[in-house]
Amino acid sequence: MRPPRALWVPFALGRPLGVAGDAEFQKGVLRASFAMLQNAVEPTIEDYPVEAPVESGSSEWSCPVSFPVADKKSISARLLAEINLMAPWSAETRAARGRTLFGVTGARPDQVEQVAVALGEIADKGNVTEVPQGDISWQFEMPLLIRHLVDDLRTFYHESMAAQPGDNVPNHDALNDWIFSGTALGDAIQAIAQHLTRAGDGASLMTRGFLVPEGHLAGGGSAFPTPAEMNKNPKI
Amino acid sequence: MVRLSDLNDVEAEHMRVRASEMQPVPPAAWITPKPLKDCTVAIVSTSGLHRRGDAPFKVGAIDYRLIPGATDFGDLVVSHISANFDRSAYQEDPNIWFPLDRLREMAVDGEIGGVSSWHYSFMGAQPNHAALSNAGEEVGRLLAADEVDVALMVPV
Repeated sequence: MRPPRALWVPFALGRPLGVAGDAEFQKGVLRASFAMLQNAVEPTIEDYPVEAPVESGSSEWSCPVSFPVADKKSISARLLAEINLMAPWSAETRAARGRTLFGVTGARPDQVEQVAVALGEIADKGNVTEVPQGDISWQFEMPLLIRHLVDDLRTFYHESMAAQPGDNVPNHDALNDWIFSGTALGDAIQAIAQHLTRAGDGASLMTRGFLVPEGHLAGGGSAFPTPAEMNKNPKI
Repeated sequence: MVRLSDLNDVEAEHMRVRASEMQPVPPAAWITPKPLKDCTVAIVSTSGLHRRGDAPFKVGAIDYRLIPGATDFGDLVVSHISANFDRSAYQEDPNIWFPLDRLREMAVDGEIGGVSSWHYSFMGAQPNHAALSNAGEEVGRLLAADEVDVALMVPV
């Protein structure tokens, strides 16, 4: 892309207008963008000089709900237990907002458990090629569906956090550190990443890259295919 | 766009590599629009947003989705492929990616002339810009036919 006028903003990924729920802050960004229509006389990139308020990192924010310590139960069982713990909080957020982002997989907003069962079974059984059973008309094929099962569940987890007490707004790192520090969802993602590695085909390895945020793959390194894996799969 | 220093090291290096591989894009025609208070504005998003009933974006999608100007945010979902940006701010306030309410308010206040009846959404994280040229030019023709004066392009 090479737009004739571009405003560079210093905000975190996922926040191009700066601050959620702050209409005046957002309009400030828009007004600075639109001002270039009148002021710029040649292709221009301008820096926006206003920083967004700092959000809380992992050292300032923690999930107020305690989850059971990981035990010998299956990931599916733990995932369902987590979902049940968080369901009232998510319902509060959905009611307050009057909407949910949940459902990109094809699931209805009330089919959170079915999505959790689908993801949990993939984690427990390691089948990354067959579409999960059930009455949901999935909108993606495997293995890419896994990526969006996770996204729907993260939507639900984020909704549950949003309703809980406290003014701290967690940033992307804090949310990822929480998910990957012992939740059943984080454990499911890591287990599935290993299954995708074992599958070893190009689509599985790329799905692993789309599944795990950079910096959070168990064992370290990028979740995207390594040079050695790419050499084995020249089509990646 | 975020500072590279604010990204995870692995992600920042990935961005550096991708930036180094990008091919030059020729400059667009330079157009000086009419006064902003007379301009109709449309949003062009690369956040992978679309209506629930639309086919979701797949990996490397180079097509686009229409989003009606009268859309309700509850009717939108996102199938962007990247796990490296946070959706929680959008969940709280969709205007942070897709500032439709803000444009409506600015139109009521007379800051802009109006809000387009249609907006457009693409999948971001595109390594090959040339592959998007046909869809991009098509959207440009649609915007022009709809008498849109300003395309507000919002990456995520």
